[in-house]
Amino acid sequence: MKQAYSTIKKSLVEASVLACGASVIALAVNIFHPKSIPFIATDAYETMVPCPVQEGHVTPIAASASELVEKGVFLVDAREESEFHKWHPKGALLLTYDFLDPIPPENIREMAKRIAAKRATKVLVYGDGANPDTGELLGIDISAAGINNVFYIKGGADALKAVWPKQDGRLK
Amino acid sequence: MKPFLSWKGHRWVSLVLRIYLGGVFVLASLHKIAHPGAFALDVATYNILPLALINLMALCLPWVEIISGGLMVAGYKSRAASWLISGMMAMFMVALLIALANGLDMSCGCFASSSMSEEDAISHLTILRDATWLLMSIYILIFDRQPIGLETIIYGKRG
Repeated sequence: MKQAYSTIKKSLVEASVLACGASVIALAVNIFHPKSIPFIATDAYETMVPCPVQEGHVTPIAASASELVEKGVFLVDAREESEFHKWHPKGALLLTYDFLDPIPPENIREMAKRIAAKRATKVLVYGDGANPDTGELLGIDISAAGINNVFYIKGGADALKAVWPKQDGRLK
Repeated sequence: MKPFLSWKGHRWVSLVLRIYLGGVFVLASLHKIAHPGAFALDVATYNILPLALINLMALCLPWVEIISGGLMVAGYKSRAASWLISGMMAMFMVALLIALANGLDMSCGCFASSSMSEEDAISHLTILRDATWLLMSIYILIFDRQPIGLETIIYGKRG
């Protein structure tokens, strides 16, 4: 037992000496290396690591689809607030999509509460209808946040406005 | 247990493992030594070390790899080399686990720089590979008591 301990101790000391020796060689070689780098970095490295991909799933749906007038549908508007005030379907929730900032978790929680209160089973998101469509992107984020059954309206608000039901609830 | 520990076949199994593992470490170090800047960027990408330690790590680690790998192959101070390789493998595994936990989609940087080895992306398989190498190193540490190689030639040990 004592011998084993002694052997381990000896090999650990040797390992430490080797590591120190290797480090000294490394630093010495770096002085003469054609691609030498400073021993201590002063400027932060620009590391380009892609952000984790949102794994939300959103299904496209045509604005003319009859699902729009079904009960249990919850509408979310991904556009700017000014666009929302110009026109929006009754009951739609404004949740402006920002290309730079993620949706605040409290907004998601608030939306989830409203969905639950309305007993909605489908979430329909519409945006600017551009490429990329903010409605689709917001839908992906909402789905990634844990809300199920999320759809986005192809063509965005303009397509939706064109077919939005009249007072009788029928599509144009 | 004792007969198993003193089995003479361990020397030969260890010899194969030493040549393999030592070779891997020597090969892994070559690109890093030739391109310290690229390796420093790989180290920085893990986002674990403070800025002041990134270059020191990028400079010293490849030399520890090449020396321990070379000694492992040569069979000289192979136990000390095993300690170093085991320590490095444990360190690499911790770094990989942290990177995976942070959701980083990046190259391992184990054998070449990120830009040159896009297919060498980190995954749970990378950790499994490192764990296998760690086990090999531990095997050598425990069972290779009289290594076949330079040490036997110099000190005339017999198994």
